[in-house]
Amino acid sequence: MEFLERFAIPHPSPAIYASMVAIALVSIGIVAGLTYFKKWGYLWREWLTTVDHKKIGIMYLVSALLMLFRGGADAIMMRAQLSAPDMKLLDAQHYNEIFTTHGVVMIIFMAMPFIFAFMNLIVPLQIGARDVAFPRLNALSFWLFFAGAMLFNISFVIGGSPDAGWTSYFPLAGNDFSESVGTNYYMLAIQISGIGSLMTGINMCTTILKMRAPGMTLMKMPMFTWSAFIANVIIVFAFPVLTVALLMGTTDRLFATNFFTTSNGGMDMLWANFFWIWGHPEVYILILPAFGLYSEIIATFSKRNLYGYTSMVASMVLISLLSFLVWTHHFFTMGQGALTNSIFSITTMAIAVPTGVKIFNWLFTMWKGKIRFTTPMLYSVAFIPLFTIGGVTGVMLAMSAADYQYHNTMFLVAHFHNTIIPGVVFAMLAGLTYYWPKFFGFMLNEKIGKVTFWLLTVGFVLAFFPMYITGLDGQARRMYTYSEATGFGALNMLSFVGAALMAIGFVTIVYNVYYSFKNSSRDIGSDPWDARSLEWATHTPVPEYNFARTPQISSSETFWDSKKNGHVLFKGEIEEIHMPNNSGVPFVMGIIFFIAGFSFIFGLWVPAVIALIGIFVCMAMRSFEKDHGRHISVKEIKETEEKLGGAK
Amino acid sequence: MKELFPAKQVMGFVASLVLTAVALLVYFTDMSFTVGMTILLATAFIQAFLQIVVFMHAGESKDGKSIYTNILYAVFIALVSVFGTLLILLWDM
Amino acid sequence: MHIDHSKPLEYSTQQNQLNILGFWIFLGAEIMLFATLFTAYFTLSARTGSGPTPAEIFEITPVLIETFVLLTSSFTIGLGIHAMRLGRKNAMMTFFGITLLLGLCFLGTEIIEFMTYYHEGATYQTSAFTAALMTTLGTHGGHVTLGLFWGTFIILQVKKRGITPETANKSFIFSLYWHFLDVVWIFIFSFIYLKGMM
Repeated sequence: MEFLERFAIPHPSPAIYASMVAIALVSIGIVAGLTYFKKWGYLWREWLTTVDHKKIGIMYLVSALLMLFRGGADAIMMRAQLSAPDMKLLDAQHYNEIFTTHGVVMIIFMAMPFIFAFMNLIVPLQIGARDVAFPRLNALSFWLFFAGAMLFNISFVIGGSPDAGWTSYFPLAGNDFSESVGTNYYMLAIQISGIGSLMTGINMCTTILKMRAPGMTLMKMPMFTWSAFIANVIIVFAFPVLTVALLMGTTDRLFATNFFTTSNGGMDMLWANFFWIWGHPEVYILILPAFGLYSEIIATFSKRNLYGYTSMVASMVLISLLSFLVWTHHFFTMGQGALTNSIFSITTMAIAVPTGVKIFNWLFTMWKGKIRFTTPMLYSVAFIPLFTIGGVTGVMLAMSAADYQYHNTMFLVAHFHNTIIPGVVFAMLAGLTYYWPKFFGFMLNEKIGKVTFWLLTVGFVLAFFPMYITGLDGQARRMYTYSEATGFGALNMLSFVGAALMAIGFVTIVYNVYYSFKNSSRDIGSDPWDARSLEWATHTPVPEYNFARTPQISSSETFWDSKKNGHVLFKGEIEEIHMPNNSGVPFVMGIIFFIAGFSFIFGLWVPAVIALIGIFVCMAMRSFEKDHGRHISVKEIKETEEKLGGAK
Repeated sequence: MKELFPAKQVMGFVASLVLTAVALLVYFTDMSFTVGMTILLATAFIQAFLQIVVFMHAGESKDGKSIYTNILYAVFIALVSVFGTLLILLWDM
Repeated sequence: MHIDHSKPLEYSTQQNQLNILGFWIFLGAEIMLFATLFTAYFTLSARTGSGPTPAEIFEITPVLIETFVLLTSSFTIGLGIHAMRLGRKNAMMTFFGITLLLGLCFLGTEIIEFMTYYHEGATYQTSAFTAALMTTLGTHGGHVTLGLFWGTFIILQVKKRGITPETANKSFIFSLYWHFLDVVWIFIFSFIYLKGMM
């Protein structure tokens, strides 16, 4: 059974064995359940082969929420281990595996799908389109993400988790120091998922540039669509850098090349350089759609249009350019010269300016508005001071000379969580609450939502603000323990309490979904928040074709105009609508990519080559494809419109 | 513009051949590194520009503006990445 | 599907225009892909370990052949698209066929070039320089190989279905791909080979 030995976990533990059992049981449970309730056909027809942007968005959403819990489990384990000096909960090896998977899961497999979920759900509706430019490619994007996520998530039970940090620096990530297949998982799972992301970038840019309803000029687009557009522009230019870097990391590990080695001319610093040329734009990819959601939510719940539309757009365009000019600030201490560090210090500080413009615009939007403190608005209001604090600690870090003190301490950890959690996570939860009624037909409970908000906000502050202090006191990052003598104990215990509150907060979200599903009224109409933009001009649930007639655009708040100023949204006759057909090929390609990835990870060359050929065969099939979709007849559209509450 | 003779293609091809020949001077004659690099940069970027504008018809549709913005953006970020990296890893070490 | 007869066939439907713009955006991403490869090459080209240097292995003859062949193939596919716009199916397929044949010659020369390097002690594993060189050339060559298959499929489709909005659209997009590969080669030729042989 020597062949099977390669799949064994190098550092097993009771928790890992328990997880293996849990995964097996859940998988069996899912298969059994689907069979018992005879839902395989439904699953295939409605979800696995769908090319509908709304369904793809929901699949991204569910995946992101599941991954949020996986990453959160990692987090609470780390906080527990660090809650007191010399804790024996996790040894160094397991701690390393956990902070690595925590980072990769939260950024690549939670935050990215979360923003893709909203882009998919909202953008076509906001621009008055029927779907994205390339629906099949869109489905492929999702299944590639899913394949990458599944691949990464089985690493800790088959073969071993990566343990070199989410940044996977060489030479630590090379074969000499990371002997298990863990880092192979890292290279290949992120590669596969990244290809899906790049495809979404191309898809969304084309959609937004060319599929807007007549009358919607670029400067009349809703702000979320603008933010999605800019984020996708960044994706198009940033992800190829990661593709190449991961390829080189893979060949170094699998084929003994010398890109990042410490011999034969290899340069380990080159990995860090490439990683961050992608990595810094990546964080702007995450934050811009979050900013877009905040713009929509703040405008709606201040009952005012967004202040400073033009400067909001200009600031995002500027951010997209500057985001490619700052990457070295992630490794100020790596040994390059002072001139380099100074240049990147300046560009890094510069990028704070357009962000500051946005903060002021949100504040001015709220000024003299009629504010409703709904759950989404609470997250938005908390975001502003909390994110600002995170931002100013970023400016502290941006001073390269000072950064020699802060780098890789808990101060840094506090900074980036301070921007990501109030910035991205709160926006995702606010957006989830805000858009929930449109896609699921009922509201989430407000009371529970507010409890969640307070638990998360107080928990976040308690968990992360102490880290600023312990970081300045000298507590290093990615260290599995500390001694009593350091005096870090009390503040780390406080952090743990905060993390526990956040954990409870996340559980209340699950409870909210359950409770609201059982108790919320289904009679909420199609515009429960009295909102301002076009996605709310659709029925609830949104019909497959989105709009029976293409909407007529008047301004950047066309829907509001139609409600308050007598603008007529839908004119003219209903015509038959052309829709793409479902396809199983994206799902099958996802499986093939999974097999290819798995095979490369374990050096199973024959299945790897076969799988690669399979990918090209699928592409060839697509080339000869003759399926041109179908038409929905006028009769069917009229019937659907009647059923959903009046031809709109 | 449906002329039978592909004038643009032929002119573009000839221009590319000339530019390639000029670039080859760098190999076949003796010159300083700076002069050589300047010639290579000039011929490469001019030939690339020719390909994109003349052969690939970048500007011919109403998406021309988007396409040019896209290419310019890509070239800008590419140059920043190349020269930024060289600065960090090779020149300012 | 609404066909706009005032535009060339490849632009004549909404989906056609989406496809072309989408492909241009993809090319923007490819510019960054190759830029990263070039970045690695420029950073690592002097790091030859105990292996050969660029000047020691580069030879002008194969490089000249590859350059001339690829440049000519870019010309012939331009002629192919020109023929397509005139509705001349046979001329179009002939020019496309010549393009792919020239591509095959390019690939053959490059394979021989790699084999020569191997025999001279410049293998994939030898040094950082060889890794960067072969990954860059290999990525470009891999793209050409994919293009040979893709181009063949397109010729088959034009043969079977004629010049329609769809086949015109696909052919035009393939030509964009092929031209782009020549653009990349211009930079490989200039900044890898010529610079390395100065």
